Amino acid sequence: MRALLAVLWKDLLTEWRSRERLSAMGVFALVVVVILYLAAPPPPGAETPQARAGLLWIAYAFAAVLGLNRTFALELENQAISGLALASVERGLLFLGKALACFPPLALVWAGAALAFGLAFGVDFRPVLGGFALVAGLGALGVCGIGTLFAAMAVRSSHREILLPLLLLPLLAPLLLGCARATDALLESGALPWPELQLLLVTDGVFWIVSYLGFGAVLDE
Amino acid sequence: MQAIHPLPQNDALRRALGISGAALLALLPLWLWLIWRAPADVQQGAIQKILYLHPPLAFGAYLGFACTALCGALYLWRRAEHWDRAARASAEVGVLLCTLMLLTGPIWAKGAWGRWWTWDLRLTLTLLLYLVYLSYLLLRAFNEGSERGARAGAVHSIAGLLVIPLNYFAIDLAGGRSMHPENLGRGSLDTGMGWPFLLGNLVVLACFAHLALRRFELAGLQAALARRRAGEAPWPT
Repeated sequence: MRALLAVLWKDLLTEWRSRERLSAMGVFALVVVVILYLAAPPPPGAETPQARAGLLWIAYAFAAVLGLNRTFALELENQAISGLALASVERGLLFLGKALACFPPLALVWAGAALAFGLAFGVDFRPVLGGFALVAGLGALGVCGIGTLFAAMAVRSSHREILLPLLLLPLLAPLLLGCARATDALLESGALPWPELQLLLVTDGVFWIVSYLGFGAVLDE
Repeated sequence: MQAIHPLPQNDALRRALGISGAALLALLPLWLWLIWRAPADVQQGAIQKILYLHPPLAFGAYLGFACTALCGALYLWRRAEHWDRAARASAEVGVLLCTLMLLTGPIWAKGAWGRWWTWDLRLTLTLLLYLVYLSYLLLRAFNEGSERGARAGAVHSIAGLLVIPLNYFAIDLAGGRSMHPENLGRGSLDTGMGWPFLLGNLVVLACFAHLALRRFELAGLQAALARRRAGEAPWPT
């Protein structure tokens, strides 16, 4: 447990001091929202929030990939990743520390992106804020879980910047499908759809279990 | 001129190759004959006979990806190199069968639905499954020959399994809004259609086994040659 807290604290402190990942992800999410607005502007006077939820989740996914690429890139400096791999602690705890440390910056960036998205596309999240926070939270949990595993997989390979999105985005599709559909339903009816929530819970569960168990195999030298 | 040194032969592998090859040769003409004899569909006509190829290819692709994950899990457990070779061979043949499935599907769709492609949930998830295993092959290519790459590939193939049940139950997930018919069950095929369909699955199974074993054999020979070139194994005198 101390190993988990140590890794979590180290990652959060590094992020707080540099704010590298936070600022890069935040600016990138904003850029994606603006590009989406330019590429697919809402028709004047049209009330079609359901068509827009998918666009928001595209912005979220791209911003997350950018941030996750940095999760282990920092560990390459001075071969810190070898120190992690050689530490005599359970690999699953190291995974939990790394994955949980991804959550706060991602949640902050996603909240900011939702605000920008709401302003650009005229979507009001305030009436469904609790439900939307739950859906986005479940989405962020899944992204952090499988994303941390794949970032560890890609970091020591050649072409790591290309490899992470190639590995991550196809497998994120079930999660993005559930999140986009749940957001659609929330904006349309104000109620949380149970089948989509089930899909999110199952996907999150599978992602975290596979990542917890497989992290050691990926991290070891 | 450099001498040609024989590489080690595996008797069990040669036998398995012989059995799968013989099964393929025996079943293939029988299957084609049964397709020829099968009744034509009243509405779709001859194009419907792609039924005897397209779903069996899907079965072969699922089988390939399931074998990749199973062999990957066994590699993580036993850390024996041959399990990794088996996983990679299964993935490559699975991707080949999935490619054929994605090529035969639009041909059938054009005949049955009047268009080559539709963003139906089953089709989209099949394409996604294909991309998951293409990314597996890329992951292996970017970590060529390393043990770390083998371990990462094994974990990735296990995580990728998630898409298979999602794809299988896509029709239910779409809530009846899918253009694909429901998954075949007992009694859903007319008289004369069952046997060619069953045999199609057996032909694809034999084809998968034979190609995967050939690829496995080739990977073994490449590894043996690499070991000799690196001086880790002696050249026979």
